[in-house]
Amino acid sequence: MKLLLVEDEQSLRESILAYFSAEGNICEVACDYHAAMEKINLYSYDCILLDLSLPGGEGMEILRALKKMNKNDGVLIISARHSLDDKVDGLNLGADDYLVKPFHLSELQARVTAIVRRKSFDGNNTIVFNEISIDTQAMKVNVNANLLNLTKKEFDLLVYFIANQRKVVTKNAIAEHLWGDEIDLSDDFDFIYTHIKNLRKKLIEAGCTDYIKSMYGVGYKFESI
Amino acid sequence: MKLANQYNKVNLFVSLIVLLLTGVIYYVVIHFILTEKLDRDLRIEEDEISAYVNTYHKLPLPGDFQDQKVAYRPVKKDDTSGRVFSNCVYLNEKENEEEPGRSLLTYIKVNKQMFEVTVVKSRLEAEGLVKLIFLITLGITAFLLLILFLINRFLLNSLWRPFYNTLDQMKAFNLADKNEINAEFSKIDEFTELNQAVSAMSQRVKQDYKELKSFTDNASHEMMTPLAVINSKLDTLLQTAGFSDQQGELIEDIYLAVGRLSRLSHSLLLLAKIENNLIKNEELIDLKELLNQKARQFQELLQSNEISISLNLEAKAVSMSKYLADILLNNLISNAIRHNLKSGHIDILLSADQLMVSNTGVAAALDETRTFERFNKTASSEGMGLGLAISRQICNLYSFKLSYQYENEKHSFIISF
Repeated sequence: MKLLLVEDEQSLRESILAYFSAEGNICEVACDYHAAMEKINLYSYDCILLDLSLPGGEGMEILRALKKMNKNDGVLIISARHSLDDKVDGLNLGADDYLVKPFHLSELQARVTAIVRRKSFDGNNTIVFNEISIDTQAMKVNVNANLLNLTKKEFDLLVYFIANQRKVVTKNAIAEHLWGDEIDLSDDFDFIYTHIKNLRKKLIEAGCTDYIKSMYGVGYKFESI
Repeated sequence: MKLANQYNKVNLFVSLIVLLLTGVIYYVVIHFILTEKLDRDLRIEEDEISAYVNTYHKLPLPGDFQDQKVAYRPVKKDDTSGRVFSNCVYLNEKENEEEPGRSLLTYIKVNKQMFEVTVVKSRLEAEGLVKLIFLITLGITAFLLLILFLINRFLLNSLWRPFYNTLDQMKAFNLADKNEINAEFSKIDEFTELNQAVSAMSQRVKQDYKELKSFTDNASHEMMTPLAVINSKLDTLLQTAGFSDQQGELIEDIYLAVGRLSRLSHSLLLLAKIENNLIKNEELIDLKELLNQKARQFQELLQSNEISISLNLEAKAVSMSKYLADILLNNLISNAIRHNLKSGHIDILLSADQLMVSNTGVAAALDETRTFERFNKTASSEGMGLGLAISRQICNLYSFKLSYQYENEKHSFIISF
């Protein structure tokens, strides 16, 4: 994937850059409005990660400029503003998704992957990871031609793991991904353990390698050895 | 009491007093002038009599003509006590009536004999004049009072109209609205000044409000960005290999603290937004459908806490923001789960006029007044104590009533529509 990260906060930029670059993605950065405008004028990206409040100008203006240029770049807004209006405005201006800070990098990765998949493989909604093949459109998972019977949550979980393969994904990141904002319920995320256990069991029963590893009690890692 | 009425009262009272006083003074002065004139006439008559006596050395005939009577009476020399003017009764023989009169008592010497001369004139004409003047004064007084009353009533009303107009606009003034206070043009300096002050004030308030709003935005941004940095650094840290489970636990604790902090500032910003009525997008929400959806959404949590839930829902739709409806129901249901017992129960009842969420829990009623306060929570609660404050704020926004009751060992939160 070729990504452009437009973010003025240096530390955040570095973390995101490190997380995405590890997967062999090309990730360019722009730290202010003008740098971002220059980049989008010159190049095309699979996905642009766009912060809304930037030195030198508003992120919304960059969205408008992209729309004017008729570019088909995917755009994910990452904003500290948890405002409905901003969200609606951004999506109306052609952004593909809106993520509120603070977020988990794994969530960012999952959303970017989803945007890029929708944008670049028109008609091809298949994710393949070794013997696992996922049809995101029909929500079907096959392991070596064995069709898996997964619940919606287990399906989402699998897609999330594959988007974040070889990364440690924390339990609360998973909980937030699967249940959204509502789940500010408790600091006890043990209930997601059941879902992971079930998914693991179904994958193994279908003849799949056990890719899911528990990591330091904090989270999980999906990786082929 | 209205200003105009108060003013009217004083004005009319003072006018009445002043006019009556004027009437009295007028009466006294006119009376005095007319008496002077009568006295002058009497003196002229006296002069005429003495001129007659000087010329003919005898008294003129005692006469009775033109409302004037002259009478003589011989007196001894010593009895002369000087001239005296006095009021008396005048007998009008023609009409056989007693009329008020004015008399002059004087003495005259005719051929060594002293005579007392009495000249009496009728005062009827003068009295009539005074009476007429008095009546006219009274009439004018009444007329003037009436005019004053009418002027106060109608002129004052129209004069005060710009004031009431401004007042109405101030009453309808809403910070969230875009429209300014447009004061009606008035020729009255005071009202112009008032209007200027009011529009200056409303503009200043709006400006402050705008600044506060942008402060809210900025505060959110400034708080969220460092939180985002901490979170992303933790995510990155976790990717570096080789942590022990003990280190993992530490990292998890940091995650949880960051999560709580960001939820806290989200909640505070949300409260501020609801209070400032910044959340619009009202739409018709099918509560029955939404509650069913919530029950599915919370299914895993309910299962993991072994809580059973029963829904008894009638069709009910309310007009509110979808975003806030979600938050409201999430808060109520997650509270019911969080404060429940192991293997507890939750009842959700929806009828046309109320929504009730009840749950089993600790066997003691909560303090209803404090329950909805911010940051009020029990020591064992994992929440921030903002959920119910937000819920009540949302209910207030749409004029629903959120109340709490404890009955049959169940804690119930009731929204009355």
